[in-house]
Amino acid sequence: MRPILALAAKDLRLMSRNRAHLFFAFGWPLVVAVFFGLLFGGPRESAATLKVALVDEDGTEASQAFADRLAKTDGLTLSPMARADALTAVRRGTLTGAVIVTHGFGEASARPFFGVPAEISLAMDPSRRAEAAMLEGIVTGAGMQGMERLFTDTSYSKTIIDDALRDLSTSQDRVEGRDQLARFLGELRSFVDSPAARPRAGSSTTGDSAWKPVVVTKTEVATERHGPRNAFMVTFPQGVLWGVIGCAFGFALSLVIERTRGTLTRLQMSPLARAHVLAGKALACFLTILAVQALLFLVARAALGVVPDSWPLLALGSVCLAIAFVGLMMVISVLGRTEQTVGGTAWALLLPLSMLGGGMIPLFAMPSWMLPLSNVSPVKWGILALEGALWRGFSPAEMLAPCAILVAVGVAGFAIGARVFSRT
Amino acid sequence: MLRIRSITKRYGDIVAVDSLSLEVHRGEIFGLLGPNGAGKSTTVHLAVGLLAPDEGTVDIGGRGAPRNPDVRRLIGVAPQALSLYDELTGEENLVFLARVYGLGAARARDRTRWALEIAGLTDRRRDRVATYSGGMKRRLNLAAALVHEPSLLLLDEPTVGVDPQSRNAIFERIETLRAGGCTIVYTTHYMEEAARLCDRVGIVDHGRLLALDTVDGLVAAHGGEPVLVVRGERGEQRIPTRDPLATLTRLAAEARVDDFRVERANLEQVFLRLTGRSLRD
Repeated sequence: MRPILALAAKDLRLMSRNRAHLFFAFGWPLVVAVFFGLLFGGPRESAATLKVALVDEDGTEASQAFADRLAKTDGLTLSPMARADALTAVRRGTLTGAVIVTHGFGEASARPFFGVPAEISLAMDPSRRAEAAMLEGIVTGAGMQGMERLFTDTSYSKTIIDDALRDLSTSQDRVEGRDQLARFLGELRSFVDSPAARPRAGSSTTGDSAWKPVVVTKTEVATERHGPRNAFMVTFPQGVLWGVIGCAFGFALSLVIERTRGTLTRLQMSPLARAHVLAGKALACFLTILAVQALLFLVARAALGVVPDSWPLLALGSVCLAIAFVGLMMVISVLGRTEQTVGGTAWALLLPLSMLGGGMIPLFAMPSWMLPLSNVSPVKWGILALEGALWRGFSPAEMLAPCAILVAVGVAGFAIGARVFSRT
Repeated sequence: MLRIRSITKRYGDIVAVDSLSLEVHRGEIFGLLGPNGAGKSTTVHLAVGLLAPDEGTVDIGGRGAPRNPDVRRLIGVAPQALSLYDELTGEENLVFLARVYGLGAARARDRTRWALEIAGLTDRRRDRVATYSGGMKRRLNLAAALVHEPSLLLLDEPTVGVDPQSRNAIFERIETLRAGGCTIVYTTHYMEEAARLCDRVGIVDHGRLLALDTVDGLVAAHGGEPVLVVRGERGEQRIPTRDPLATLTRLAAEARVDDFRVERANLEQVFLRLTGRSLRD
């Protein structure tokens, strides 16, 4: 095992020093995936605009005022509708989420210092954490704006404080800090009466509040997905395939270069068997393909919101894809004896396979007559395995077919390549 | 250390090595001298097990054929074609090869340090091989053959394309290795190299071993008599003689001698006599 690891480490080091190889393995696929992803629409909903449903179950003046304030928020589009419709829309992914103003909101808003606080419920897909946090912030902000009147309209303030003091004195409930709250409200009432409380022209009335005038609760609504959530979900598997092809091509070429530069002869004079040499090359290729996929999917996850349905299935698809293209690498490496021959023949073979397999035109956009033809291309099964884990919602059983085909291609390719290699 | 018995290697109708037999003793430098295409490299490839002979056997150190990986560990080869990774540093090349031969990490580092020192490349160890001169690459090629501490070193035309200074540096390294007890097979078509370095020389042409002996033995057996060249009263005379001193004494007694020299046969003439053509043909 030690010589195989040494061979693989050497190949990885050589690859890391070959800028062209690095670019076509890591850079080019990223460019392809991002460029075409943006070209074909980018994320379904841009981060700058949130389309949400507004469900007003309270129907009071306060809830309407809250909705009006929310509607004025930049980057938020509100669609008023009933709760059931809103939840369906969220589930189907047509809306990012739903803001539900629950019954009692108006009444609770009039008693900001005592009693149950006003409540807003958010219904969101749990996977859309960033958008959920953003919406929560917007809703809380709109709730806070409702408190502006408390400090700018002294007669309103007095009413609110008097109501709170009355509720406090008549409440039979056990209220923690009742005395302190009563003392505070009394002091506040005195302050509101004083000349200092009268607002000056142009002064800001906003400020930090220690208590929450609005409580935002969240409800998780899993989206029913019938297609990719954004264009990157389609372009990243394609980009990954180009990266994987670049890796396989690069390592195949490196095997030919070993032959033409005599280093292969040196290795063959060593105690290594040919199988060791091939295993080392295959291991380096396998690891690089996995690294390419990991990098691309991490970038896609972090920057472009590409969240797979299943990370374990994505890992399975990635490994099977790597096995397939290690096998293809072996076949490519024996297509000729010189770099020029192998380079030309490899692209003549890989380009049609890629075009046919969905490397350029997404599988779901292919004409129906082309789909059966695409079955001959390992690229198709690679993309299908990745898409299955990303957005097609494949079960482990559904992943079996593309994965088995990929592994079979890998094993067959390795066997053929190794056999031809050992004869030459 | 190396015993080759009647090996033959054919490529279609071409017989690259024809019933060649030889034995290399432990601790000696054995030269295989012959023109390009004589079958020297093929013999080396057969000796290291890169090629399988059609007939005959090869035995390394009494441990069997070189196809066996354990036997291969005993052999170090510096191929004629530079077989190095240009994008790796000299040090990385050597550590990698040491690991390929099964050395542990610490041992590989130690041996690499030693081999770099032998090759005079310690200062350039962290530079990529692509930046080395031709002579430095040749020295690294030699170091790569040594790094796993082989008992038998096969150097296939190790000075091809090397400037005289680097060539001398390589000779010095080889002599150091011999002093350390390493057995070396040295193939060359430069008779000066064979004459300087080799304890015994085998002359090869068309895949056949034509003669095998020490340099002096080969010259004595196949070079013909030394020629005494005399200039004097009788003009210039060229006189083949087995005893130049006695002949000169006799000539000096007969007539005035102004100048003289003795021309001895060398391996070039030995080869010419054996094959009817020059080593450089």
